[in-house]
Formats: sequence, structure tokens, C-alpha cells
Amino acid sequence: MQSAGNDIIALDLTDKQRSNDSRFYSKILSESEKKYYCHSSLAGMEFRYFLWLCWSVKESAYKYLKRNQPDLIFSPSRIEIAHIAIPVNRQFAEPAGTQWEGLAKDEKCYSGNLVFEGNTYYFRSKIYREMITTVVNADESFENIFWGFDSIDDTSADHQSEAIRSLLLQKLHTVLPGKQLRIEKAAAGYPIIISGTKQLNIPVSLAHHGPYIAYSFYLPANIRQKTFASLPLGAFA
Amino acid sequence: MDRQAILDELKKVLLPYTENKELLNGITEDTDLLKDLKINSANLVDIIIDAESKYNIEIDFDSAEKMMTVRDCINVIAEKVNA
Repeated sequence: MQSAGNDIIALDLTDKQRSNDSRFYSKILSESEKKYYCHSSLAGMEFRYFLWLCWSVKESAYKYLKRNQPDLIFSPSRIEIAHIAIPVNRQFAEPAGTQWEGLAKDEKCYSGNLVFEGNTYYFRSKIYREMITTVVNADESFENIFWGFDSIDDTSADHQSEAIRSLLLQKLHTVLPGKQLRIEKAAAGYPIIISGTKQLNIPVSLAHHGPYIAYSFYLPANIRQKTFASLPLGAFA
Repeated sequence: MDRQAILDELKKVLLPYTENKELLNGITEDTDLLKDLKINSANLVDIIIDAESKYNIEIDFDSAEKMMTVRDCINVIAEKVNA
């Protein structure tokens, strides 16, 4: 069943020194991931960026998987990253800016795959100087996957939660105009989209960390086609 | 080390990662670190490392993944401390 899973990491809120401490990173990385970092150049990626990229991929994968396995417990070492591809026009170490959104399949971002219980999943990540954001999907094409991030001034937990819900609803209203939508939580804890009394088949994922908020969702092609005709050109740019 | 003593120390471990410090006064064994205390998941490994230092124990991968509620944390710490 189609799902959604994303994550965002504000690097300024991570402990730089601790990120390079083997006691810390060994709780997140598997032995093969540590070797992968040593043997791949990864275009000179600093270790702490690699570590938090891996974390964001694993957290995104966990969210993606939990929707279909509500009893799943997050265990970073069991989600194994097998490959990371560096984009040609990498934006690594550039400032994040305040806002971005788009279709995951169109972006020249970091990409790769991960393995969980013998199954392969795929990720796309954007790595900036101060932030890493990731989306995970079972299909490598990332067809119909939307994602975006924004930055906020008030970083209290309540406001983060409110702001990301508001950003997602705003985005959904542009692709499903005229629908009264709201976000609720399923019993297992993941967000669901409700229109009237009906739960829509649009899996969404929300993330926040410090001043950053991010969403991803899968919008089935049949629903998109119905609404695209009425949208102005460039609405998804 | 009894459960109450572990809980009292655990509050100190959770303090830096809990935005609303008052919530810590009312925690019970059912309190969920992420949902109730609103701790960001990116801090879970920090909490495990801090707990290791505080209790002079080692928390392995299999134990760490179970530390989602205060009860889970106390169970894992009690097992290691009293081993």
C-alpha cells in the first residue's frame, strides 16, 4: 500500500562534537554504513552531514513503513542504507533559504536506496549547510510524490506542529481546490487527510525540527489529473 | 536501585531535551517521550548516551529501540543497573 515518509534535521540543533563520537554514531550507523563512508568519497561530505543524512533517511523510512506496520518500533541500525548518489549540480553547503517545494522526481537531489527486512526502498534528500530534508518511497521513480519545507520563527513544539499542518493544508488546497480538508491522526499516530467525513487516499508525512518544517505526500495521478486542468501554469514549479 | 530512584534520575536526563519543563513534574510510567513530552526524535540517541553515562551502563541497539515510554526506559535501565 502506498505510504509517505519524510524527515527534516536542523543541523545547528545537533551536537557537532557528539556527532563525531563513535559511541554516538554507532547507535545510528551499521558497520557497513561506516565502511561505506570510509570507502566512498561522497564528494568530500563531512562526516556529521553523512550521519544526519543517514538519520533522516532512516527516520523517513520508519515513518513510511509504520503506516503499514503500526507496531513497528524505530530501530535505526535495522534500516540499512545501501547506496548514496551525489547529484551533479549538488547544492551541498549552500544556505537552505527559507522555503522550497516541488515534485520529488524532478529534483536533482541526493538519492539512494535502503534495505529493510529484505525489501528495498528509495530516498531523495536535499542537503544544505544548516539543514537536511529527506523523503522515502517504495517506487524509485518518485512519481506523484510532493515535498516541501519552510522555516518558522517561533520554534515551540505547539507552533511547529500548527505551522506544518497549515503549510500542508495550504499546499493540498492548491492541488485539490474547493475541498474542505483537515488533518487528523490515525490511532497508530500518523497523519491522515479528512474531507467532510471521508478519509482521503492521500498519504502524508510531517516533520519539524527547530526552525524548519517539512511535508511530503503522495497524490494519486487520477486525482491530480482532475485538478491540474484548472491550475495556473507553473503551480508546481 | 528501585524504580522511583531511576525515575528521579531519568527526569534529569530528559530535562535538556524537554521544552516544557513543567511536564516532567507530572510524568508517570505511561508518559511517551515523543508524544507527551514532545521530545524531538533527533534527540533520542542523546538521551540514550546521557543515560549510559548517568548509570554507567551500556545500552545496546536492541534495548535502545524499546525506550519509547518512561516505563520502557526504566525497564531497560533497571535491567542493566541491577544485572
